[in-house]
Amino acid sequence: MWKRMFGPDLRREWYLIKMPEGPMKQYYRKPIPWPETDYRELEYLCIDLELTGLNPETDEILSVGFAPIVDQNVILSESAHYLVRPSGELPEDSVVVHGLTDDRLAEAEPLEDVLPHVLMALSGRVLFAHHAPIELGFLNVACERIYGYPLLTRAVDTLELEKRNRQQRNQPLDGGVLRLAKARESYNLPRYRAHNALVDAVASGELFLAQAAHKTAKGEKITLRELMFRNR
Amino acid sequence: MDIELIEIRDFLKVHHPFDLLPEEALETLPTTIEVRYARRGTVMFEPGDDNKFLWVVRTGAVETLDPDGNLLARLSEGECFGVRAILRGGVAVNRCEAIEDSLLYLLPVAEFDRLRKEYPQFAYFFAPMGGDRLRSAREHAEASTEDAIGLMSTKLSDMLKRDPVTIAPDVTIQQAAKAMSEKGVSCLLVTENEKLSGIVTDKDLRKRVVAEGLAYDTRLSQIMTFDPIHIDADEYLFDALLVMSRNNIRHLPVLDGEKVAGVVTTTNIVQKQTTSMVYLVGDIYKRNTVAGLKDVVKQVPNMVMNLVDGGATAHNIGHVVSTVTDAIATRLIQMAEEKLGPAPVPFAWIVVGSEARHEQTAISDQDNGLILDDTYDEAQHGDYFRELAKFVSDGLNECGYVYCPGDVMATNDKWRQPLVGWKNYFAKWIDAPEPEALMLSSIFFDMRSIYGDERLYAELRDFVLKKSTGNRIFLSFMAGNALTHQPPLGFFKNFVLIRGGEHDHTFDLKHNGVVPIIDLARTYSLDAGLTEVNTKDRLKAAVEKKIISKDGSDDLLDALEFISITRLRHQAQQIRNGEKADNFMAPENMSHFERNHLKDAFNVVKTMQSALATAYT
Repeated sequence: MWKRMFGPDLRREWYLIKMPEGPMKQYYRKPIPWPETDYRELEYLCIDLELTGLNPETDEILSVGFAPIVDQNVILSESAHYLVRPSGELPEDSVVVHGLTDDRLAEAEPLEDVLPHVLMALSGRVLFAHHAPIELGFLNVACERIYGYPLLTRAVDTLELEKRNRQQRNQPLDGGVLRLAKARESYNLPRYRAHNALVDAVASGELFLAQAAHKTAKGEKITLRELMFRNR
Repeated sequence: MDIELIEIRDFLKVHHPFDLLPEEALETLPTTIEVRYARRGTVMFEPGDDNKFLWVVRTGAVETLDPDGNLLARLSEGECFGVRAILRGGVAVNRCEAIEDSLLYLLPVAEFDRLRKEYPQFAYFFAPMGGDRLRSAREHAEASTEDAIGLMSTKLSDMLKRDPVTIAPDVTIQQAAKAMSEKGVSCLLVTENEKLSGIVTDKDLRKRVVAEGLAYDTRLSQIMTFDPIHIDADEYLFDALLVMSRNNIRHLPVLDGEKVAGVVTTTNIVQKQTTSMVYLVGDIYKRNTVAGLKDVVKQVPNMVMNLVDGGATAHNIGHVVSTVTDAIATRLIQMAEEKLGPAPVPFAWIVVGSEARHEQTAISDQDNGLILDDTYDEAQHGDYFRELAKFVSDGLNECGYVYCPGDVMATNDKWRQPLVGWKNYFAKWIDAPEPEALMLSSIFFDMRSIYGDERLYAELRDFVLKKSTGNRIFLSFMAGNALTHQPPLGFFKNFVLIRGGEHDHTFDLKHNGVVPIIDLARTYSLDAGLTEVNTKDRLKAAVEKKIISKDGSDDLLDALEFISITRLRHQAQQIRNGEKADNFMAPENMSHFERNHLKDAFNVVKTMQSALATAYT
C-alpha cells in the first residue's frame, strides 16, 4: 500500500538507509533518473533476457545481454552478454527458441553471480527493452529473491513507444508491426539474422535511437516522462 | 562474449577494407564500436568540427560536400567516411550529412590507429585517399619486381657511386694514362673550371696515341674528344643505354646541371643486366632495308608484353616503344638520304601525338610532318622532299606503322611546309580557335623533332609558346576542349559503362582514362609556356611554374600511371588470349582492389577537371 503512495525516488532513499552493503545497495547509490529531465541528457541500458518461459515466478533467466546508450550512441565497448546457469533442467521448447543447450548453460555462472554485473551497469540509468514488462518483471523477482529488495527503476519500452507513435499518426497496428524486426524495418534499420540476448538488446537500443530521433525532428525538449513506460 | 556481436562482425567482414583484417581482429572489432542513428538531414560534422571517429554506413546514405557545397561523394552501405578529418588531426574539412535515415557505426580514432598500425594492408586503404593511395599501390607493385627492371627504374643519379675521375686538359698524355691506371678507370673526364670540356678513353690512347706514335708529352687536349655527348643525371639508366647504342659509344658522361656527376659505361650496364630491347634499338641502326626494319618491329608487341609482366611502369614502356618508333623513322630518313642525296635545304622531321609525347604503347598509325627551312623553294626543292616523305611514310607503313587515317603525314602537302607556313597555321589556330583548329591544336601541340635541324623545330615551338602562354581566350577554348572526355564515374561514384553494342558493359580506358589527363597536362603546359611534351614531364614542370599544386600534380601522375598500366595489363592479357588488344575494360573482370583504385584514379581526374573548368572557363 505505501509503495503506491511514495514514488521510487523516496523509496530509494529509504532503502539506502536500511539496506546492508552489497550489489543492490551499490545500485541504489546513484539516483534513479528523474522523469522531467530531457531524455538526451540521460543514460540508458538496453537489456534483453532469454527465458525458459514468460512467468517471472516460475520460469528462469537463461542469458542476459545489455548495452548502454550514452550521448545517443550505443556503446558496444560496455556491452556484455552472460549465460546463466539454470537451477533445473531446460524445457525442450525453449531450447529450440534460443539454441542454448543444457551443456552450454551448465558451464555458465549462476544468476547470483550475473545479477551484480547487470545492477552495476543499470545504476543511474534508464532501463529499456522491447516489451519491457518481461525484463522488469524477471529482474525484479530476481532482486527480491536474491537481495530481498525490489528493483526500482525507470524504463522505456520500445514496443509501447512504437505503439503510441503509430496511434498518434493513425497508422495501423496489425501485421506484427510492433515486433522488433518489423518496427526496425520502418526506420531503415538493418535486419539482424542472429538472435541472442545481446544482439536483441543492441537491436532494441538502435530502435530507440531511431524512435527518439524521429520524435525530436525540430530539436525541442522532450522529457523522459514523455517516452517513459507508463506502468511505473 | 565477443562472438555475440556476430551481426556487426559479419557485416564488417564483407566490406572493404575490413575484409582485409584477419579473423581475430574482426572478432574484437565490434566491441570497440559505437552505434548512432542519424535521421535524414542530420549533419554529422561540418568543416572545422572535431571528428574522432571513422564512420561506417550500416544502412542509409550519407553525402560528403566540400565547403562550397559541391558534392564530393555519396556513401552507401558499407562505405566509410571521416577519414580525411582523422588524417588531418581530427578537424573536419568537409560536411557530412545523412540523406536517408541511416544507422552508422563509429570506430574511435584510437582503435582505427591501432588497426592501421597492426595491419598494413588495412592502413594502406586509408593512405590519404586518391593520390597517395595509388602511389603506395604502385610502389608496392613495383618493389616486388624491382630486379627484373633495374634498367627502367634506376636513375643515373642513384647509380653513380664513385666521384668522377676528372683531369685538366693541359696535362700530358702520360700523366693522363698514369691517372687512369692508378684510379683503375677506362676513361677520364676532362674539365676546365669544373665544366666538362672533353673525354678521353683507353681506346683513344690506343688508337690516337700508340698507333700514331705520338710523344708521351703531347698535351691531353690534342687527343681528347671535345664536347662529348652526355646525359643528365635525372634520366634513367635505360635512356643512357639508348644514347650509347645509338651513337655507338661506350662511355657516357653524366651531368648534374653544369656539374660533372660521373660517367656510365657499357660495363656498368652489363653488370646491371642487359635486356634484349636495348639491343633492339641498336639493331635498327644496323639494318639497311625496309624488310630488315620490319623484322625488328615485329618483336615490339612481345617486348611490351615482357615489360608489362616484368613490372615496368607505363611511363617507361611508353618511352621504350616511342624510342623504337623514333629509331625506325630515323633509319628510314637516313636511307632516303642515302638514296636521294643530301637535302637541298635544312629540314626537321617532326612526329606528333603519342610518339611525340613518348607515350606510344603499341605499334600504331604514323603521325608526322616536315618543317622546311624558309629558303625552301617549291619549284626547286619540291620534288626532293616529296620523295623523301613518300619513302619514309611508305617504309613506316610497311613496318606496321600504317598510314594516318586523318592524313597527318609529311606526304600531305599541308603538313610539309616551310617554317613560315607552320607559323601561320599555329597563328590561325590560336587566334581563331574553332572546333577544327582545336582538334588540330591538340594534335600538333604535342610535337617533337626526331631528325634534321633541331633549330627549325625549336623556333616554331618558341613562336607557338609565345603566342599561347597566358592567352586567356585561347586557353579557355583549350580547357573546354580538355573537358570533352570525362572519366567514367557516375554521381554515385560508380562506373558509368558503355551500354549495348560491341563493347557492352565496359568503359574506355583510353578516351575516358588516359586522354583526359593528357588533355589537362597540355592545357597547363600551354598556359605555362612549357617546352616539355611528355605528360609526366609537363605535370612536373607545371608545378614549378605554379600552374598546379604539387599535390594535384602528384595525384594526376599517379592516376595516369595507374590507368595506363591497367590498360597495358588488360591488353597484354588479350594478346595472350589470342584476342585483339583494345581499350575496353569490363569492371567485373577486375579485382575489388583494382576497381577501388581505378575509382580513386578517376576521381582524381574528375577533381582536376573541375578545377580546370573553374580556372580557365
